Amino acid sequence: MSSAQPVIKSKQTVKEVNGISTQVVCTEFSNYIFVVLTQYGKMGTLISVTPDSRSNDISTPSFSTKVLLGKDEPLTHVCAKNLATFVSQEAGNRPVLLGLALKDSSIDSIKQMKEIVKSCQVW
Amino acid sequence: MSETQNGEVFEAIKVHNFSEKILEQSIHFHVMKLSGGFFLWVGSSPDSMPLSTLVMGDPSNTAANSLAQRLAKKTKKQVYVSYSLPMTDNNFSLLVEKRIKKELELLPEHF
Repeated sequence: MSSAQPVIKSKQTVKEVNGISTQVVCTEFSNYIFVVLTQYGKMGTLISVTPDSRSNDISTPSFSTKVLLGKDEPLTHVCAKNLATFVSQEAGNRPVLLGLALKDSSIDSIKQMKEIVKSCQVW
Repeated sequence: MSETQNGEVFEAIKVHNFSEKILEQSIHFHVMKLSGGFFLWVGSSPDSMPLSTLVMGDPSNTAANSLAQRLAKKTKKQVYVSYSLPMTDNNFSLLVEKRIKKELELLPEHF
């Protein structure tokens, strides 16, 4: 049975990013925005992006990234911050859970992916 | 939708929602089918419950309170419950409640 209005709201899309098929699924939970961004069709590395509660300067809020599952390397944190910070801010500082499985993590690709995530706005 | 990329079969992620009423509660399920795996969320929508208050009796016995809440929700009426049964297992009080609900449906004019 599929009810007309599911309690969990999600949006998804597929786009090519520099020739690589890239899928995005954004799901809204009450305490988290869940973003899956994958070029493998798999969940990949799970990263939690949370706004810091004690931000001494309102103009520059800071975010912490934590790899919950998968390879914990600096680039993962850089990608996660670039891709998920705006989501958290737009969603009223809700934390973001990010599933990342990228074949290409160049700056240009990340910029394009950010736009794809934007197009799947559920928050 | 599936396409082949670098020789491997590439299937689009699929999202599936379903719900079921389990023990008077609406339980919702959300599945995200990934390549070679899936993500599952199970939860309940916060069913808004009517307000209830204990007028007299043992505050540790919540049976009357919860029964009153559920009956108020079902009938959309103000409900007073005096519950004078010994504290037994959950299953027993569930059967008692079932019988009341049966009567509600059979003879709604008496309530």
